[in-house]
Amino acid sequence: MFTYTLRRLLLAIPTLLVISLVIFLLVDLAPGSPASQIPLTVPAEVRMRILEAMGANEPIHVRYLLWLKQFFVVEPLVWVDATFGTAFSEGMQRILSWQSRSPVFDVIVERLPQTLTVVGMAYVVGVLIALPIGIYSAYRQYSWFDQIGTFVAMVGFSVPTFFTGLVLILVFAVNLGWFPSIYNTSLRVTDWESFVAQVRQMVLPVAVLALYNASQISRYMRASMLDNLNQDYVRTARAKGLRERVVVLKHVLRNSMIPVVTVIALGIPTIFGGAIITEQVFRVNGLGALLIGAIQASDLPMVQTLTFIFAVLIVIFNLIADVLYGLLDPRIRYD
Amino acid sequence: MRLRTALMGACATAAMALPALAERGSDGNVNILYSQAVSILNPYLSSGTKDVEVSSLIIEPLAGFDEKGNLFPRLAAEIPTLENGGVSEDLTTITWKLKEGLLWSDGTPVTSADVVFSWQYCTHPEGGCAQAARYEGVQSVEAIDERTVKVTFSAPKPNPYSAFVGSTSPIIQKAQFQDCLGAAAATCTAQNFGPIGTGPFRVTEFKVNDVVQLEANPHYRDPEKPAFATVMVKGGGDAAGAARAVMETGEFDYAWNTQINPELQAQMKAGGKGQFVSAFGTLVERIEMNLTNPSPSLPEGERSTVKHPHPFLTDARVRKALSMAIDRNLLVEVGYGEAGRPTCNLVPAPEIYASDNTDCLTQDIEGAKALLEEAGFTPGPDGIRVNADGVRLSVLYQTSVNPVRQDFQALIKQWWNEIGVEVELKSIDPGVYFGGDPGSPDTFQKFYADVEMYANNFDGTDPEPYLAQYLCDKIPGPENQWQGENINRYCDPAYEALVRELAQTRDIAARAELVKRMNDMLTKESHVVVPLVDRGRLSAHSNTLGGVVLNVWDTELWNVQDWYRIK
Amino acid sequence: MPEAAAARRKLVEVRDLRMHFPIYAGLLRRRVGAVKAVDGVSFDIHEGETLGLVGESGCGKSTCGRALLRLYEPTSGSIRIDGREIATAGFDTLRTLRPIMQMVFQDPQASLNPRMTVGSIIGEPLDEHTRLSRREKQERIHELMDAVGLNRAFANRYPHEFSGGQRQSIGIARALALNPRFIVCDEPIAALDVSIQAQVVNLLEDLQARFGLTYLFISHDLSMVRHIADRVAVMDLGRIAELAPRDALYEAPLHPYSQALLSAVPEPDPNAETRRRRIILTGDVPSPANPPRGCNFSTRCPRVMPVCREVEPAFREVAPGHFTACHLHDPAISQTAGTAAAPEAKSTADTHVQQGA
Repeated sequence: MFTYTLRRLLLAIPTLLVISLVIFLLVDLAPGSPASQIPLTVPAEVRMRILEAMGANEPIHVRYLLWLKQFFVVEPLVWVDATFGTAFSEGMQRILSWQSRSPVFDVIVERLPQTLTVVGMAYVVGVLIALPIGIYSAYRQYSWFDQIGTFVAMVGFSVPTFFTGLVLILVFAVNLGWFPSIYNTSLRVTDWESFVAQVRQMVLPVAVLALYNASQISRYMRASMLDNLNQDYVRTARAKGLRERVVVLKHVLRNSMIPVVTVIALGIPTIFGGAIITEQVFRVNGLGALLIGAIQASDLPMVQTLTFIFAVLIVIFNLIADVLYGLLDPRIRYD
Repeated sequence: MRLRTALMGACATAAMALPALAERGSDGNVNILYSQAVSILNPYLSSGTKDVEVSSLIIEPLAGFDEKGNLFPRLAAEIPTLENGGVSEDLTTITWKLKEGLLWSDGTPVTSADVVFSWQYCTHPEGGCAQAARYEGVQSVEAIDERTVKVTFSAPKPNPYSAFVGSTSPIIQKAQFQDCLGAAAATCTAQNFGPIGTGPFRVTEFKVNDVVQLEANPHYRDPEKPAFATVMVKGGGDAAGAARAVMETGEFDYAWNTQINPELQAQMKAGGKGQFVSAFGTLVERIEMNLTNPSPSLPEGERSTVKHPHPFLTDARVRKALSMAIDRNLLVEVGYGEAGRPTCNLVPAPEIYASDNTDCLTQDIEGAKALLEEAGFTPGPDGIRVNADGVRLSVLYQTSVNPVRQDFQALIKQWWNEIGVEVELKSIDPGVYFGGDPGSPDTFQKFYADVEMYANNFDGTDPEPYLAQYLCDKIPGPENQWQGENINRYCDPAYEALVRELAQTRDIAARAELVKRMNDMLTKESHVVVPLVDRGRLSAHSNTLGGVVLNVWDTELWNVQDWYRIK
Repeated sequence: MPEAAAARRKLVEVRDLRMHFPIYAGLLRRRVGAVKAVDGVSFDIHEGETLGLVGESGCGKSTCGRALLRLYEPTSGSIRIDGREIATAGFDTLRTLRPIMQMVFQDPQASLNPRMTVGSIIGEPLDEHTRLSRREKQERIHELMDAVGLNRAFANRYPHEFSGGQRQSIGIARALALNPRFIVCDEPIAALDVSIQAQVVNLLEDLQARFGLTYLFISHDLSMVRHIADRVAVMDLGRIAELAPRDALYEAPLHPYSQALLSAVPEPDPNAETRRRRIILTGDVPSPANPPRGCNFSTRCPRVMPVCREVEPAFREVAPGHFTACHLHDPAISQTAGTAAAPEAKSTADTHVQQGA
């Protein structure tokens, strides 16, 4: 397992380098320029100077190599400095956002908590809802519960989040006034009252995303349970005289969880990717909103860095999913 | 009309509530929502309106514009004029004097050195200052004494109120920014995110593209203001959501630029929690006529250049007919509601500069047809007009992707078809259209179309640089990498003469006459520029927020120190 | 042997067991019919004997075996094992009855939970039904592994690490864990290599001798059944066509279906093999969802009579311990309608006897 993991990690390096180049070219060749953000009242020569100061007019290979150096050398050194109080990165140019002229990583670190709390919580809630629903739906296949579950999952999966988000806002924020429609990112949980406020503002975005996640995962869970419920070893378990609960939870569920766990693991990078639309609707302003804002403003360093981090996360979680599979399923051995 | 009554009502209640206002910070918190989030709090590094406006809560210029476009002193003791001797007779210098006892929010005194530094900061060649245009023509800025600065221009400047005037050229603290000159500007994140200023508030927390938390500046010059102890400026989302947060849920007190369609405006008003305020500035949605030939059959590098005049748009009668066929009232109704009004002027405001040109406001399809007949264009077998030389009236009409603009395109296409003009529509991603990339064929400067539509305005109250864009040497072309503001490729010696004259005229009335004359030349006389809608600002504020006066000449948050809570 | 069998105690008594699976169809998924997998089966198994259950694929023999242990909910009928009613027992009662009746499944790979070690698979019933200490359990697991010839060191391995035969041994060890008295062997050798089949069968026989087990041995392998079974039941389409002591059946099958089935068994002796006369059945196998009227075999029976298409033949004892459900052997009918047919039947049976000898 260890050699396998190591080999996969080594293989990931060239893959990621190629990905970084492809992303860079895609982002760079995509139409749009940071100059479009400058109002027309600003004269052309001033525009030129602004772009020069950003470094946006350098040739593409220079910018790519600079970005590589910044991402793989400067930023880790900055991190080392921040952790150990050293000064390796002194005087080195970090990756700066064109929009805010601030280091891209600082912004990402600032955004991470709200994305993780909202999108991450939605994922956790989604999984927690999905598993029992999937299990029970499969156990009572074609029952009313299963039919309703299937319908809700279909709705949750096919109705876009901007629509469910807006509907929830209109119902619960505008008409009923129970929950805020706008997420306050500077709220700090210090006491019971602020905790309640935090929970209230998380309810709507978490509900929207959890519905979406739950509908997806509950289908996986159901399908996997159905696969296993008809297996011979389940009959064996019943023949052993085990309690039905033991049969379902110990034998069927454990085996059914293997593919589901990997699906859940593969979904984790999307948490970091944020939920672009939902974050936008509720102004959670996490990483998803950061990315879409950067794309709209043609903030190349930000888009490039974010997408590359997502790529790294996807590669890592793919590996984690594979390793998990090996750990969970004794039939699989990586050697 | 209803809005005006509502506004007057609000003013009346404001007047009654005024005496109640007592001390700094007594009204708690105010929530402001910007649908575009704030990226940076240094307007010298960003020209985005949202960045400039929110920065204006913190840092201030020497003088600003009020809601009528008049100058009023902020950090300056008074506005220097020829009369009070602040502006030299030859119009080459202006001398500003700071108010007495001004303090930065960190408690240190504001001096003339800070003013000089602000100029140095923005004019550093490597700094990429976004507001460099404000300092154009400034030869030097020197500190005469602790409180006096003298600005010297390289040539006589009839309008000397550009540097240090308005929220786009604020005074920054030298002590804080002195290590941030030139290329270092971008690395000064702490400074750019938390400038020390003289404004009513100071930053307590800044999250890029998300939220700005501010608190009352303890050293603000008026000890009773601001009434609010803290401000939260939240960003993100869209205009409709921002309007909803003020008008329907009441979570926010003020929402910036709630530009939504008239139907939605009416629906939100029913929420009863707030009101829309609108005011009109100089932003004009217009159709630009291309006087050069954009035909794809021409070699690359010659399309839309002065080498090839346009086959039919060079005929003033055709341009006029196209303008006559448009129903501007309907466009406003469809697209803007209270946030727009039909206009025939390129310079619709300030009032003294606005020409009384209203001819275009009534649609005249028959007149347009007659005019085209007169120009020799008669309907062909397919209903499209052709002249004797076989030139077909077929236009490519481009604009940026934007729902209102696509509605406009559809309506105008219909009217033009009616008068026998074939129209092909094209919409381009705004990032590309306004991106100015010389390599892209789809920028508005390249103008590879017969007509195009967008909105433009000018900064502040002086239209001179705006009108000077229509000079022959500002025509975009391959030789200047398509950077030039004379989009129509308009070139008229008579107009050039007027531009030169305006540059030397300092009497305000005479200037106004010249501006009107030039406006008319571009619009009602030649129809090179076809103005459609004067687009106002539409913002929303809660019924409990008092003191809001919408200002289109400067930052919308210009008088935030006077805002208060209606109890 | 028959007299010995009769003397023994009946361990399993099955009476009129029916197992119908409902068929749902249409938009609202209404019940439109049923697959009659087991349709009125009755038989007894004596203590210590092996009853072979043979038949074509799909005839319901596996369903019958599973229903016997209540792995399916039988539609109707009675199952008594060691005097206790199984078919209608409540869930908890049933669970306490599980230890006496166990099953060895066809596919040793699929019937073992892939995520459990051999030790835990064998030991799980002990956790559920006994109060042994850890040590005792461990000891019992090792005993069982020894009994089926598995190396004790393999207790911590997973099923996929074993060969097919070893896996079936695990399945057998698991079935033995609670000292059952009755084991249903559901095609226990069908999924195994021929070379391994004999080993497993020998193991089963060996264990039967050691622990006094009673088997229901379900198989389509007639030679293997002949080897292991004391008595054999032939099933056709949910019903038992014939039930007889092994030798009686193999030497003189009475039911035409049994005759056809047995005629398909290859002979080890090449000379005999060349002389073997196969009865080739023609006609369609009826669907168990829609069985024919009268005798289930009537659509294919080479010796069908008009009465077969009308009246379902009764399952009657025609010789001591020899039961069959065929109108040919119903004295009432064979005397009237079946006179012409009977001698022919006799001759066919004779041929077989000769060939078999």
